[in-house]
Amino acid sequence: MLAEVPLEEEVVLVRMDVAGEDVEPLLERGIVPGCRLCPVRHAPVGGPTVYSVDGCLVALRREIASCLCVRSALEAAGVLDSN
Amino acid sequence: MADSRPLVLLAGPPNSGKSTLFNSLTGLRQRVANYPGVTVERRSGVVRLASGRVELVDLPGVHGLSSRSLDQLVARRALLGEMEGGRRPDGLVILLDSTRLSSHLMVAESFLGLGIPTLVVLAMADELDRRDGAVEAAELSRELGVEVALVDARDPGTLGSVHSFFEALLTGGEEARACPAVAVADSHVAQSPARAPTRPLPVVDLFSARRDRARQLGRAAGYRAPRESVVTNRLDALALHRIWGPVVFLGVVALVFQTIFAWAMPLMDATEATIRISGRYLHGIMPDGWLRSLLIEGVWAGVGSVIVFLPQILILFFFIALMEDSGYMARAAVVADRLMHRVGLQGRSFLPLLSAYACAIPAIMSARAVEDERDRLATIFIAPFMTCSARLPVYALLIAAFVPAGPVLGPILGRQAAVLIGLYALGLVAAIGTAALLKRTLLRGRPLPFVMELPPYRMPSARSVATRLLDRAKVFLRRAGRIILAVTVVLWVLTQLPRTPDGGSPPIDESALGRMGQLIEPAIEPLGLDWRIGIGLVTSLAAREVIVGTLGTIYGVEAEDDTTLELRAALQRDMDLGSAVALLVFFAFALQCMSTVAVMRRETGGWRWPSLQFAYMLVLAYLGAWAAKSIL
Ligand SMILES: Nc1nc2c(ncn2[C@@H]2O[C@H](COP(=O)(O)OP(=O)(O)OP(=O)(O)O)[C@@H](O)[C@H]2O)c(=O)[nH]1
Ligand SMILES: [Mg+2]
Repeated sequence: MLAEVPLEEEVVLVRMDVAGEDVEPLLERGIVPGCRLCPVRHAPVGGPTVYSVDGCLVALRREIASCLCVRSALEAAGVLDSN
Repeated sequence: MADSRPLVLLAGPPNSGKSTLFNSLTGLRQRVANYPGVTVERRSGVVRLASGRVELVDLPGVHGLSSRSLDQLVARRALLGEMEGGRRPDGLVILLDSTRLSSHLMVAESFLGLGIPTLVVLAMADELDRRDGAVEAAELSRELGVEVALVDARDPGTLGSVHSFFEALLTGGEEARACPAVAVADSHVAQSPARAPTRPLPVVDLFSARRDRARQLGRAAGYRAPRESVVTNRLDALALHRIWGPVVFLGVVALVFQTIFAWAMPLMDATEATIRISGRYLHGIMPDGWLRSLLIEGVWAGVGSVIVFLPQILILFFFIALMEDSGYMARAAVVADRLMHRVGLQGRSFLPLLSAYACAIPAIMSARAVEDERDRLATIFIAPFMTCSARLPVYALLIAAFVPAGPVLGPILGRQAAVLIGLYALGLVAAIGTAALLKRTLLRGRPLPFVMELPPYRMPSARSVATRLLDRAKVFLRRAGRIILAVTVVLWVLTQLPRTPDGGSPPIDESALGRMGQLIEPAIEPLGLDWRIGIGLVTSLAAREVIVGTLGTIYGVEAEDDTTLELRAALQRDMDLGSAVALLVFFAFALQCMSTVAVMRRETGGWRWPSLQFAYMLVLAYLGAWAAKSIL
C-alpha cells in the first residue's frame, strides 16, 4: 500500500482499489498504474502526504493512499505490469 | 463582422498558462495565478493579425472532458459548439505545461481528434530550460500530426508560431490542416453529447493505455523531464514542515487579519477625510436647496460611507493575490485540509472561504475549483457567513456607538476590537456548524478523493497582482456607485412624499417611507428595533452596507462635517445595548445581499439553494438577535 511507503522511497503503482467515479480525478492527474510515485513529505498534523508523481507534486490523503497498491521501483524494473 | 472571425478555443489542463497566453495574444487582462482552477468562465478576446482578426476564447483548465465538474462542462460545451451561440470552433489551441509533459500529454489526448485545426503549445519553455529539461517540438509535431510550438507564454516575442497558426486559419493555409482523428477510441467526446449514462468500466485500462501512448510520444520527441526545482523543495520543507508548517500557516492568517484591522486604519482615515473635505467643498459651492440636500447629505454621505472600506478590501485581496501567485495557496490548502476535513469539507475549500472575508461573490465563483459537487455546494452555502467587508461599515458604526473604548488585554487588544473579533468568530462558528450539519443531512455522501496538485513556487508578478486589485476596486466602486446611489435616491424621494398641504416635505414619520417602516415594525419589535432600523433592514437586502446610508438619510442628518458622529448620537438615543447587539448578530447571520443570491442561483443552477440559504440564514439571524436581546 502506498500509505505505508517510507519517505523518499520510489515505488511503482500496480493496482488501484478505488471505487467507481472516484478513480477518475486520480487518473486524470497521472496517477495511473505504471506511474512512479515517491512520498516527498507528510503535511503537518496527520494531513495529506505530498507525492512526486512522475516528477510532479500531488497531495493525497492517507485514505486514498491506502487504496493504492504499489511495488518497489527496483523490484518492478524489468517486469511489465499490464494490469 | 463579428461572425466571420474564426473562433479559436484555448484549452488544456489547469495552471498550464492558458490565461497568460491569452493575455499576451489579446492584450487583455484575464486573471492569472499560480493555483489550479483560477479561470472558471470562458472569456473571449480578439487577436489582431496582419490578415485579419481571430476571436480567442480562454477556457477553464480541465484534465479531461468527462463533464464531472462544472469546469469540465464549460470546456466540453465550448469544444462541441454547444454554447449559447452554438458556434463550432474553427480552431483549437491545446496548451500544455512543458515541465509536466508526461501527464499533460495524456490530457492532450482527450482534446485531439476533434476534427478541428489544432495547434499544441508547450508553455513554460523558460522553466524547462532552466531546470535542464528538453523536448523537440518538431519531433512531437511529426508524432502528433499537428503543429507544436514551444513558448514562454509571458513573452510575446516567443509567440511567432502561434501567430502563424492564426494566419493560416484566416487564409486557409497549409498549417491549418484539420487534426487527424488519432487515438480517440477512449475519448469521452466521441460518446453522446449528454452525460454518458454508465461509463465503460475499465476506465483504468483506458488511462493505462493513454499513459503508454503518452510515454511513447514523449520518448519519440526526446522529452527529458526537468530536474525538480530546488527552490520549491526548500520552501516546501518549511511550508509543510511538521512544526513550522502550521506556524507559517497561522502566521500568514494572523498577518492578514492584523493588517485588515490595524494597518488599514490610516488608509481608511485618509479616505474618509478626503470624502469629508470634498463633501464640505461641494456643499460650499452649491446653492442651498433640495438638490444640494439630495446630493450631499443623501448621495455623497451614503456612497462615501461605503467607499471608506475600499482600502481594507484591497489589502485582503493583495494578500490573497500574493499567496496565489507565489504558489503558497496550494500549500495552505494542503495544511488546511486536515482542519477542513473535521467539518466535512476539504483543503480546496480554504481559498473560497478565505476570499469570502472580502466578498462572498468572488468566493462563490472560485468554489468551482472544489471538484466534489457536494463539497462545492457546502462551501458555497457557508461562504456568506464569513464576515465580508460589506458588514464592516455596519459593525463599525454600531460598535463605535455602543461599545466604550478601553483595553481588554492591555495595549494589545482594545474592547472595540475584541467585539469585532467576536463577530468574526461568530460568523466562523455559524459556518462550521452549518457545514457539519449540511454534510450530515442534505449533502451526505462519500466525497471524491482529495487530490491537490502543487505547482512550483514562482515569483508573484507585480502586473498580475496590480490587475487583480484594479479589477476588485472597479467591481466595488461600481457596486457602491450603482446600488447605493439608486437606493439613496429612492429613499430620499420617499421621505419627501406625500407633500404637505402647503407644499413642504412631511415630517419623517408621516412620509411614505415612515409609513412603510411602521408596517414592518411589529416584526422587529421583539428585537428592540424601531421602524427606522426596519427600513434600514429592508434596504440592506440590496447590500448590507446600504443600511448606513439609509439611516443617514432617515435621521435627516444635516451636519456638514462628520456624518457618522451625528448618526452615532441618533442611534444612541433610539437604541439600547441589547437591541444594538441584536442588530449586530442579525447582520452577522442574515443573507442581505442580492448579488450573492444572484451568483448563488447561477452557480447552483436554480432557486432551490439560494432560497433555502436565504430562509436558513434569516431564521438563524432572527433567532440569534432575539436571543441576544433577551439575554442582555
Ligand atoms: N515561467 C513561466 N511561467 C508561466 C508561463 N505561462 C504561465 N506561467 C505562470 O503559470 C501560472 C499559471 O498561469 P495561468 O495563465 O493562470 O494558467 P491557466 O492555464 O490559465 O490556469 P487555470 O485558469 O487555473 O486553468 C502563473 O503563475 C503564470 O505566471 C511561462 O511560459 N513561463
Ligand atoms: Mg486561466
